[in-house]
Amino acid sequence: MARMTPGPDERGELFSAYLDGELTRDEVAFVSQALEGNEEAIAEFHELRAVRTRLRMMTEFEVPAALLPDGHLGDRLSAYLDGELPTLEHRRVTRHLVECVDCRAELQDLDRARIAIRSLPGVDAGSSGEVPVIPVPRKRRLGLIAGGVGAAAAAALVLGITMTGGDQPVFTLNDLAARHVARASAEPAFSIMPSVVEAAAP
Amino acid sequence: MTEEFTPTWEDVAHRYGRKIYNFAYRLTGNPDDAADLVQEVLLRVRKGLSSYEPGSFEGWLWRITRNAFLDGVRRRQRRPESALPDGDHHILGSSPSPDEVLSSVRLSDDIQAALLKLPYEFREAVVLCDVVGLTYDEIAEATDVPVGTVRSRIHRGRKLLREMLTWPV
Repeated sequence: MARMTPGPDERGELFSAYLDGELTRDEVAFVSQALEGNEEAIAEFHELRAVRTRLRMMTEFEVPAALLPDGHLGDRLSAYLDGELPTLEHRRVTRHLVECVDCRAELQDLDRARIAIRSLPGVDAGSSGEVPVIPVPRKRRLGLIAGGVGAAAAAALVLGITMTGGDQPVFTLNDLAARHVARASAEPAFSIMPSVVEAAAP
Repeated sequence: MTEEFTPTWEDVAHRYGRKIYNFAYRLTGNPDDAADLVQEVLLRVRKGLSSYEPGSFEGWLWRITRNAFLDGVRRRQRRPESALPDGDHHILGSSPSPDEVLSSVRLSDDIQAALLKLPYEFREAVVLCDVVGLTYDEIAEATDVPVGTVRSRIHRGRKLLREMLTWPV
């Protein structure tokens, strides 16, 4: 053993490190030897152990939930639909979608909203099942705000709600459904859910 | 966390957010500072992950956390209402919210009060060891000092705490 008679400070340091499981075999042997029959050393050891225990028993606070991501995909869903995510991120999102019912439902809503928004400007006015067309700037990346507007429109369609308002042009639900089917056939990206599941299939 | 796996920042947030929060809370005794630190660290992690090279993730993360904490301390020192890393700085205010009152009660815990009186280097080493749960090697990497220095700081910190505390052992 290299050091048989360390000073009091070094002895205490070895006791602390012993409690943390950070000693070499030789140092552990020294600690055992130092404690044998030495009341003062035993008292010091117990005091250090008590302090360490108190420190480790302190309340562990929960981090405020608002500081953490909720674990869902959030605004990445819109970018995913628009094909704007980097490859690795796209794969992560796809994997998450396979496992997460909530995000799949949200993706479906966003997809419906996206389709509804993109369909709005080109629809002719009709006379029954009227739904007002909300003028929305046609941009490639509409983001969450546009998604929210579209989601309201999509919800109205799903619920069969007929809204009226001012001199806005209107279209029929049948027209919209037909247009949706046509676009989904022509553009595979519109049928996003089947492709998500297929992409993640083993 | 394996040596080869690079987590996403969301992984980091969920896996380490609580530890980061408690690290800052125990160093400052202030929940607002702790919350600020979590936000700042997650921001730095998000920016830094793209250039992170797989290795000791814990060492990398806690170096970021420590630097962010010290930057925050320096920032606050430049303001009139500075919160220094040493000494007591409990939550004070003319009309404290229920959360603040609760936090004040928590801070009355004698060991928290004693922690705040430790010199910063000792407090940091003790908190990283006993609150965060890092090994001496990880603490040495995070704080950029030799392992022997870490061992000495942890012991001296605990010894000072024992001298300050009044409870029986």
